[in-house]
Amino acid sequence: MSDIISVKDLVLVYADGTKAVDNISFNVAEGEFFGFLGPNGAGKSTTIKVLTTLLRKTSGEVNVAGYNLEKDAAAIRKVIGVQSQDTTVDGDLTGRENLELQGHFYQMKTSEIKARVKELLRLVELESVAEKRARNYSGGMKKRLDLASALIHKPKMLFLDEPTTGLDPQSRSTIWAYLQRLNKEEGITIFLTTQYLEEADKLCKRLSIIDYGKIAASGTPGELKSQVGADSIRVGLENCDRDRSRAKEIIRSMTGVSEIIDSEECINVFAKNASQLIADIVRALDSSDIRLTTVTFAQPTLDDVFMKHTGRRIRVEELVKAPSMMFGGRR
Amino acid sequence: MTLGSDTRYLFIRYLTKLVRNPILLFFSLFQPILFLALFTQLLTRLGSFPGILPDHVSYLEFAAAGILLQNAFGSALQSGNSIVADIDSGFLQKMLVTPVSRSAILLGRLTSDAFRVVIQSAIILGLAYAFGAIENTPFSVTTGVLGILGIFFTLAFFGLAWSGISLALGMKTRSAETVFAIGGVITFPLLFLSSALFPISFLPTWVKDVSMFNPVSYAVDASRAFMITGYDWGTILPAWGVIGLVALITLSATLYQFRKVVS
Repeated sequence: MSDIISVKDLVLVYADGTKAVDNISFNVAEGEFFGFLGPNGAGKSTTIKVLTTLLRKTSGEVNVAGYNLEKDAAAIRKVIGVQSQDTTVDGDLTGRENLELQGHFYQMKTSEIKARVKELLRLVELESVAEKRARNYSGGMKKRLDLASALIHKPKMLFLDEPTTGLDPQSRSTIWAYLQRLNKEEGITIFLTTQYLEEADKLCKRLSIIDYGKIAASGTPGELKSQVGADSIRVGLENCDRDRSRAKEIIRSMTGVSEIIDSEECINVFAKNASQLIADIVRALDSSDIRLTTVTFAQPTLDDVFMKHTGRRIRVEELVKAPSMMFGGRR
Repeated sequence: MTLGSDTRYLFIRYLTKLVRNPILLFFSLFQPILFLALFTQLLTRLGSFPGILPDHVSYLEFAAAGILLQNAFGSALQSGNSIVADIDSGFLQKMLVTPVSRSAILLGRLTSDAFRVVIQSAIILGLAYAFGAIENTPFSVTTGVLGILGIFFTLAFFGLAWSGISLALGMKTRSAETVFAIGGVITFPLLFLSSALFPISFLPTWVKDVSMFNPVSYAVDASRAFMITGYDWGTILPAWGVIGLVALITLSATLYQFRKVVS
């Protein structure tokens, strides 16, 4: 597979001296679903702006879709689709008009635009409101319209800057489903930025964790998590106080167990091969007459990965308030 | 040629937005129409003093050119606001990641501004005819339909020059409020320190001197020539020259700011 994006030693320093992107290098293969995971202000949007020809890089070497960013910006614009973090639809125009105008920006033929708009309105399920002004759309509908407009010219490569930030859970999963379809069925390469752990985990085949303008770690979600090491098994005991030390002793002797700590449930076992260990633990404790109440198995999350590489949790207080079901306007 | 078609689609976009926000049209027409009604009522006796207005010219005829110009001012002023809106919403950026012609983004804006001035001028001219009929004061354009086109051209051209100021300000300050405030502050002095609403002979000497350097006076005099005196090229051509000079300056400023925004 050839690389559709190659970035080498990219640096972007804003006019005020802020180093938003600090010497990053990465590649994205054609057809890949690649992501940047990081908190607000990590440099995600800035990187996208550079890659989509909006911001002039300070230094570094960037190629997108086979074109050099410096020499062939115009050629790059023709083959990429971009959805920025702010939802940008023209509220005075109808959904259909928004898409048609976007088609004209790419100098598409009117007949071609008509057919494509029909197709896209169906894809993002906005056919029934196509003739209504976008001003009256819900947040989720606007995002979908915006996504559709980024697809109007059948781009080879899609850049999505936080495509679900601020959306209710339903709208998010709808968008996720579209994105997975686009990547799988149409083979569109997708570069997505997100501050949601689950979004990166669910969608990205490969991702980079970015913080303070630097890439802290890269790999598949699985690889990254296995670098953190152990899965955890949370064991709840019926009579925790009495049995705890005995249970710990039994489990400690098992192969693969790296650490055992006391926890709310009772004990927390860290191990490499946790999924296989569960049965052994259950059997061993049972034969020693220690009664279990719960056994839960948890894999490390990307937050653990972030923690390992940056020494901090993803700055939770800066995360967009977790969209709650209560506000998810069902229509 | 993508410039032509890109400009056309953006021209259509801006006009669609305008038509769908009639409140904007209402506000920019409100003041000129108010002036038309008010000034002609208050000052209609002006025509009965000999030597102030040209013979056989009603104040309505005299003031119409000034009020048309005021209208061109007002609508051009909103131009800067709309580019600020496009920058704030991210729509400009959305356009910039596409291959759309960069010049078309400005050109679509400017042509639609000019077109808007013409449409609004036609409305005001129509109202002036209606006022004339109701009040039984004479109102006509001496040079006829061709002259009306001449007036429209002058006004649209002036509007374009003025759009340049508000666009440049809008891109520089990124604040609709600032554009509006600055625009408001310069509009009225320029209007009143010119031959727009009062005959020049009626004005104090210092205002006369100032108005000599006021491009508004030139633009009004040209429109007034078409309306009252006829094809007075000695007035019209220098006026177009002055407007052209203003446009050159303001549009250069716009282009300079636009380049900064785009790159």
